[in-house]
Amino acid sequence: MPYAAHGDWTLGGEVGFRHDNNVGNAQSSPDIVEDSVISARLPIFQLFPLGESYSLTIAGDLSGESFHRFTGLNNASIDAALALKKKWGLGAFAPWARIGASVARSDYRDSYRNAWIYRATLASGQRIDERWNLWMEYAFERRAARAQAELVPGLSGDAFSQDSHNIAANLEYSLGERTFLTLGLLGRHGDVESTTARSAKIYYASRALAEDPAFGPESYAYRLTGTTYGFRVGINYAPTPHSLLGCGFERLETHADGGNSYTKSVPEITWDYSF
Amino acid sequence: MNRILAAVAGLTLLWGALPGRGAELHVLVKDHHGKLIADAVVLATPSDPKVAQRAKPPPDAVDQVDKQFVPYVKPVFLGSKVRFPNSDHIRHQVYSFSPAKKFELPLYSGTDAPPVVFDKPGVVVLGCNIHDWMVGYIYVSETPFFAKTEAAGKATIDDLPPGEYTVRVWHPSMEHGEDSTTRRVTLSAEGPANIEWDVSLKPTFRIPRVSGAASPGYP
Repeated sequence: MPYAAHGDWTLGGEVGFRHDNNVGNAQSSPDIVEDSVISARLPIFQLFPLGESYSLTIAGDLSGESFHRFTGLNNASIDAALALKKKWGLGAFAPWARIGASVARSDYRDSYRNAWIYRATLASGQRIDERWNLWMEYAFERRAARAQAELVPGLSGDAFSQDSHNIAANLEYSLGERTFLTLGLLGRHGDVESTTARSAKIYYASRALAEDPAFGPESYAYRLTGTTYGFRVGINYAPTPHSLLGCGFERLETHADGGNSYTKSVPEITWDYSF
Repeated sequence: MNRILAAVAGLTLLWGALPGRGAELHVLVKDHHGKLIADAVVLATPSDPKVAQRAKPPPDAVDQVDKQFVPYVKPVFLGSKVRFPNSDHIRHQVYSFSPAKKFELPLYSGTDAPPVVFDKPGVVVLGCNIHDWMVGYIYVSETPFFAKTEAAGKATIDDLPPGEYTVRVWHPSMEHGEDSTTRRVTLSAEGPANIEWDVSLKPTFRIPRVSGAASPGYP
């Protein structure tokens, strides 16, 4: 590494508003509940170029979410991340790969949902030209929550802990100097948490069960194994070089054990600023 | 009488040759919609190549401010030494793949980077290997008579030796080659010449600086 590491912290900010038409990941209509969420995030990172090909990024962010209806889900998080990126060649169009790890702590208003979130990522991509940008990412995520008391002897109360494998393929296409479209194809396999009223069908497929009073007194969180497919589309406009307005839509479909399936649609608007 | 006429003629010629008594070329560049175009390079090439002979080109600079090249477009004379000072508090790695000048300045900060000599005419596209959205242009001109349009689309080339010139314009987003803009003009010290261009620009695509949550994330 012929060059000494040196860099400056770059600060950013993001606020967003989204509407989730199935907050509890429920299958049946009486259990399906929707809510609107306001979110805010303050990311900060420092990039250390390590010679011609490598760079190391140290990053962190503070974030929070405020739910309009299910206020027990209001949360604040702190996240720290480390990523090493390699570029094969010089310039914006060189292919790249990045390996990273992060740890986050999320605290909820209803504290039984509090969790540590560990994430390991592997990403690679290439900007084809000024208009097209393509990248893929794999992430393993472990969400470690505190186990709740067993409601049923022999069935774990640890319904809010999850392990999952996530993949995403993303495409970005510039419409003009300030506007670009995004398309993401998403896949996920692993633990999912679905909150419903008492149900034999979901109970027999679940691997953990806990009360979930954030959704009401007779609500229960079930941990299942499931596979999720989905997509995300968005249009983004940069009113200034430092800011970005985004409008997106995400659609997810999950097939879990025991024939428990659910869908989720999330339109979202965001405003990002980076110094 | 003949002596007086000869003296008057001689003084007139001498007056025309004095600095500040050259010809002036005023230029206005617009697009097809009438929008005034900044950062267009206007070049005046004299028909007599001897006129274009000029002493050593002055040193020039392209700065890096707020993770952008400043200026965005920089015309320089062939053979110019250009410095790339870095006014940001982070390091940059400036490079170009352009046939007119391939070069790379390894990571640096401040004014550490050595100057780059631009010894081939043409367009040199600048980039930064760390900050993908940074792009800038150096136009290396064969003629010493050039100027760049301001935000109002105007540029002036002054102190031109009177005579025949081929004048053309270049812009980073121009749809057709600069040869399509070529005009011939005769310049005199009597008064400025005015030329107006309507050029067609193609859409510009810039790599976004802020990429949002859906993008590759941290650089």
